Amino acid sequence: MDGVKQSCMVYTDEAPEGVSEAAQKALAPFSVKWSEHPVHGGWPGCLVERAQWAEAFAALKETGGFNMLVDHTAVDYPEREGERFTVLGLLMNLDTQERLMVRTRVPEDEAVATLTHLWASADWAERETYDMFGIPFAGHPDLTRIYMPQDFDGWPLRRDFPMQGHNRFRD
Amino acid sequence: MSEVTQTEITEMLEASGSSECSILLSTVKAVANWSRKNSIWPLPLGLSCCGIEFMATAASRYDMARFGMEVARFSPRQSDLLLVAGTLTYKMAQVMTRLYDQMAEPKWVISMGACASSGGMYRSYSVVQGIDEFIPVDFYISGCPPRPDSVLNVLMKLQDKITRDRSYELTVDSPDAPDALKVGEVAVLPGKRHGPPVALATDTERFVKQGPQKRMARGVKPREGR
Repeated sequence: MDGVKQSCMVYTDEAPEGVSEAAQKALAPFSVKWSEHPVHGGWPGCLVERAQWAEAFAALKETGGFNMLVDHTAVDYPEREGERFTVLGLLMNLDTQERLMVRTRVPEDEAVATLTHLWASADWAERETYDMFGIPFAGHPDLTRIYMPQDFDGWPLRRDFPMQGHNRFRD
Repeated sequence: MSEVTQTEITEMLEASGSSECSILLSTVKAVANWSRKNSIWPLPLGLSCCGIEFMATAASRYDMARFGMEVARFSPRQSDLLLVAGTLTYKMAQVMTRLYDQMAEPKWVISMGACASSGGMYRSYSVVQGIDEFIPVDFYISGCPPRPDSVLNVLMKLQDKITRDRSYELTVDSPDAPDALKVGEVAVLPGKRHGPPVALATDTERFVKQGPQKRMARGVKPREGR
């Protein structure tokens, strides 16, 4: 849909089964598209606007009941026109065991808002995403590489990063 | 080698003050190397599963204390042998070269296992393709990980190598030796195993200088990306 060729995700306006009313109510003020099929082992997913990324997570935490940020990462779709990366955050409600995967899309070299003011666990997760994909997170307190040496050149998990032969000591 | 005359031996016996004293003649080289080879203090740099296998080598079933190496030191300043056991990443390579630079001469290096020797199965952007890109290596141990037997075998080979070490020789014929050398004096030639001492440089600049040259010297060509 709308120019997405490689992504297998199909989005609708209706939430799939398994998404609680609290979660839907929390996301009601935002422009949200729901993935048609629950994917990845029962994680229902939705797509939010990049400008509303942090606000959507704040609403999900405060009124949606999602009190744990399980993971935060990104996927590279180099074929996709315009918005190359999908950034995603995986949420969990520890009381009801409800899970939710929230996605957004971001072009190369453009920033996504940080979630560190909501969950401390977002700190290292966002640093990892920055380290591997080169996606900057606006408002992050210490956005430096976490795995690779600070002077490393390149973003290893991008699809155009060479599988072999990358050696920073080679001319 | 200067000769020790019978008269001098008699004089030494008289100087000792005991008529029942006995003398064992040897060379400084032999005594020093014997002492060195039986008191190797290893610095284990356990980076992955090879580190576990090294622990097995040190523990009671295999017990490398039988060869005078039980004192594993975790300070490079007290160690003679750097035993790199496991997968070395470029980030950790800075630590390894720093440890190596801090070790006092004489020092030896053993590269334990496939990863330390060649990068092993990790042909990756983050893994050093053999620790000899950065530091000189005395022995390589094959295996993934090597059995404790292999480690013990190489440790004994290292002892043989130390026995043949010539850095401690008393050589009056050598042009480096002092002019007047009397019996009882020892001329210690500086160890030359690793060439001139390198400056303590652990920054990236040194990697850039040393890394690719040695790599290219081994004839390994970079493969193009996918």
